[in-house]
Amino acid sequence: MADTPLIELREVRKVFVTGAIRYEVLKGISLAVERGDYIALMGPSGSGKSTLLNILGCLDAPTSGHYHLEAREIVSLSDTELARIRNQFFGFVFQSFNLMGRYSVEENVALPMVYRGLPRRERLQRARALLARVGLKDFNRHLPSELSGGMQQRVAIARALVNEPKVLFADEPTGNLDSKTGQEIISLFGELNAEGTTLVVVTHDPRVAEHTRRVLTLTDGAIVKDLRNGMAA
Amino acid sequence: MNPLEHLRIAMDALAANKVRSFLTMLGVIIGVASVIMLVAIGEGAKTYIRQELMGIGTNLLIIVPGKTETSGMGHMPSGVQKLTLADMRALEKRATLVTAMTPVVVSSAPVKLGNRLRNVQVIGTDQNFETVRNLHVEIGSFISKADVDASRRVAVIGRTVKKELFGESNPLGRTVKLGETKFRVIGIMETKGVTLGQDIDDHVFIPVETAQEIFDQDGLTNILTQVVNDNAIDRAKQQITQVLVERHAGEEDFTLVSQQAMLSTMQTILGTFTYVLGGIASISLLVGGIGIMNIMLVSVRERTREIGLRKAIGAAQRDILLQFIIESVVLSMVGGLIGIVFGAGVAYGAKAFFPAIPIDVSTWSVLTAFIFAFMVGAFFGIYPASKAARLNPIDALRYE
Repeated sequence: MADTPLIELREVRKVFVTGAIRYEVLKGISLAVERGDYIALMGPSGSGKSTLLNILGCLDAPTSGHYHLEAREIVSLSDTELARIRNQFFGFVFQSFNLMGRYSVEENVALPMVYRGLPRRERLQRARALLARVGLKDFNRHLPSELSGGMQQRVAIARALVNEPKVLFADEPTGNLDSKTGQEIISLFGELNAEGTTLVVVTHDPRVAEHTRRVLTLTDGAIVKDLRNGMAA
Repeated sequence: MNPLEHLRIAMDALAANKVRSFLTMLGVIIGVASVIMLVAIGEGAKTYIRQELMGIGTNLLIIVPGKTETSGMGHMPSGVQKLTLADMRALEKRATLVTAMTPVVVSSAPVKLGNRLRNVQVIGTDQNFETVRNLHVEIGSFISKADVDASRRVAVIGRTVKKELFGESNPLGRTVKLGETKFRVIGIMETKGVTLGQDIDDHVFIPVETAQEIFDQDGLTNILTQVVNDNAIDRAKQQITQVLVERHAGEEDFTLVSQQAMLSTMQTILGTFTYVLGGIASISLLVGGIGIMNIMLVSVRERTREIGLRKAIGAAQRDILLQFIIESVVLSMVGGLIGIVFGAGVAYGAKAFFPAIPIDVSTWSVLTAFIFAFMVGAFFGIYPASKAARLNPIDALRYE
């Protein structure tokens, strides 16, 4: 099944209903995410790019349409099964890091493995390995608040990678960072992709987008542009 | 996912807010402590009353003049015919199930020795009193049959009376004045202390007919009878009733109170008392539970982003639900444990002040309180936990 896309969306619609107002955020998106790809989702705010990312990451369910993950329909799965998919197939990086302030850095990184049911010793071991991978091997026992923003985002990336996900989703990962640390995150993503991790990044920052292989531009809930970057070749 | 992991997460969260966790527990601590304490004291009082009532004799049946509607303690004399010594003599002959009986005339009078004076309860009775009432002379002798028959002016005094009037000197053979009548002291009762609100040590015992003479009474306050055994009490009642009704012109103008009836009346009253106290204490436990729910709701709101994150990285609704329920159960159970220790401590502390009352923290009250605390935690945890579990991960992650 090497040529089946990792993720395939067909005619995905998302409608939000607030009171009497019916708001169609995604108007029939069809999209394939190939293994090893690095996709930027761009577009003006309100274009539906974050909603699309949430649906791709199984954080949100489409109103209609199909979602195939490795050729398997997952739209009708239960909450527990979707949680398992998020846990084992996906990693998430958010604009605001979302680290747990009362846990040490290594415990934060180890958190997804708690829900995978790994024993504590193994969790911490792997968390430390991942922290070393993102260049934070001396900060295992620190609290997130003792770290700079860029370092916190690296912790979040280590956490997203700790279960060896098939796809790493990032929602404005550089949005809260200055341009220099943002650049570091971008190059870390580049390295991860070069090592084979599939990435989908929501961004409005062209400097992020230019390092990706594929740029999808959304406007009013539809993909209006789908460009392959030259560097991807 | 391993339940121990849920427990660890819950403990971490509670440890992160120690003061708040403790204050939240306080409601349960106070609730459980008061349940334990009040039930211990209530049960202690019950045991105390049982011991005291059993201590006044075995298989007692008390005949009091006047008819009351219900069995149990207390009576409303209707002022008809009195119980007399003649009634008792008749019973002695005909009530075969009664092994011993003794007449009782109760009055109060000042007892004097020289210029010392003490107001005491005077009991007029006969030689059977010691056996029936399970009270014994320590020094000297009790009233004899001859003393009764001859209406002698002899007295047996309680310990307190002896101490107050005679101090350390020997009262045997000495003369005291009861009202205006002189009595020779022939015995001293053993120390008994306060029984059912009566200080036996502060009593003076004299022959029954002597008491009737000096207090100018021809009736008896009551007749104490001892029935052959426990099972014969109902039949003995029938015998006594038959004899007395015959003698009282077909009128049932007296009441038979058995020790068992007194006991069960008291037990019922105290049992109800214990339940009422326990119930009131349970209300504070309930209030404690509401406190837990309140704090859990605040906590869910505060940790909205944490919940969103946990869901994003793979927590199912069930995991979040368990996490918060376990948190509230841990709060209530730790509170329950502290409450049990605290309540038991106060109960045993009270025991040091009232050694007469056998206060005991019963296993069932500890178990009940603990299970109740657990249920309070689980019950009041469900609503906040399900609220947390149902949070939409996207909204939760965006929550500021």
